[in-house]
Amino acid sequence: MKTEPIHRTSMWKFKLSAATMTLIPAAVGINYVAKALAEGLKLPVWLGSLGTFLASMLAGPVAGAISGFINNVIYGLTLSPISTVYAITSIGIGIAVGILHANGWFSSARRVFISAIIIAIVSAVISTPLNVIFWGGQTGIAWGDSLFAVMVANHAPVWLASFTDEFVLDILDKVCVAYLAFFIYRQLPQRMVHFFRDDK
Amino acid sequence: MMTDQTLISGAPRVKLKWYQVIDPITKLLLILDMTLLSFASTNLLLQAGLILVATLLLLFSKLSSTTFKALGFSLFLIGTMLIIQGLFYSRNQTVLFSVLGVSFYKEGLIYATTLGCRVLVIILTSGFFMVTTSISENAAYLELSGLSYKTVYVLMSVCYILPEMMRNMRKIQQAQKVRGTNPQKTLIQKLKSVLPVLIPLVIKTLDQSMARSISLQLRGFDNPNRTVRTSQRVYRLSRTLHIGLTGLAILLIGWKIWSKINGL
Repeated sequence: MKTEPIHRTSMWKFKLSAATMTLIPAAVGINYVAKALAEGLKLPVWLGSLGTFLASMLAGPVAGAISGFINNVIYGLTLSPISTVYAITSIGIGIAVGILHANGWFSSARRVFISAIIIAIVSAVISTPLNVIFWGGQTGIAWGDSLFAVMVANHAPVWLASFTDEFVLDILDKVCVAYLAFFIYRQLPQRMVHFFRDDK
Repeated sequence: MMTDQTLISGAPRVKLKWYQVIDPITKLLLILDMTLLSFASTNLLLQAGLILVATLLLLFSKLSSTTFKALGFSLFLIGTMLIIQGLFYSRNQTVLFSVLGVSFYKEGLIYATTLGCRVLVIILTSGFFMVTTSISENAAYLELSGLSYKTVYVLMSVCYILPEMMRNMRKIQQAQKVRGTNPQKTLIQKLKSVLPVLIPLVIKTLDQSMARSISLQLRGFDNPNRTVRTSQRVYRLSRTLHIGLTGLAILLIGWKIWSKINGL
């Protein structure tokens, strides 16, 4: 099995070495391209955190969090300004993936599923207040928002309706991304895995 | 860009536009202040005023398709927000109008309009930043303002890597089609077609990152005696604007916290 966990004490160690300096932009690029691919194929998921997942798995939670943060800042300053505030969610995702991977929660297909659920919860918990502040609780995805509308119409609290709206979208997205990251990570040549890990 | 001649004479020959003498940090602080102002009040007149200011800034600088794209997506979302909140907002009491027997309420519509205005203020002001600053200008300025050159490299290299990755993706997609991968009609087929594109793309990207990292090390990127690139831009009133805009931001945040405490 290639996905042996990184030693616990090294998880938070972070140095902006040449390897991480080139890994972070690559991760942001992967996020961007995966999102474009999903949009191109009209998939019901975003896939826009694939690079963040891979950066966290390769170089730890800090590198993943930085990748997520930069991803949203760049995206916000070039395409969609509001997405900048969701940088906090991306940081949360990066840290969650890094911790889970370091503790061996990406070692088997069954464990990946549990990891995906935990990451979806983290993502939804952070995103919900932002959705409420900026969009009155909506997410901008039609079928999630119809669920939101039905819940609000039935006098459910806005926070609960917004969390449900975000969570159902997140769970689908994060399960897809977690399995994609799991399969891709296993396909990576060993020299690559060691290059980004050992250089710290 | 300055020509060689202007570099020798020391004075820029081309007259700079007004937005070119404002530094990037001032523009970013402007986004922050406009956002805070918009969040400070629910008064729709104030929101309309802020939108007008941001629109004027854009009209007197440059209009670009990126701003329109960002606006298009948000306007759609604001539209759905108006419908959902107009119908179901929890504090809805006064019926404003009815369409085909469905009643739209005043409170929900006002709430959605306020939120929509805030989004528009952010998008329009950010649009001003986006269309008036270039990647290289930001990079040079961020380094001059004290950000480590490594961080600047990470931020800026993304903008150069993206077009390369998009090219790689198209190449891989074409290659997979030529090899006869599935027709991508149903959802399952589409999901299956993602992996044969993503795996080679990710490996190729990471491989190029490794090569880039090695060449950075070989070129002595970590060298402490590195010379900082000097900016050719001349910015006006940077310090005053920074102090003024930061002061305003602190005031607005302070006022918001104060009114929240008193409100409780």
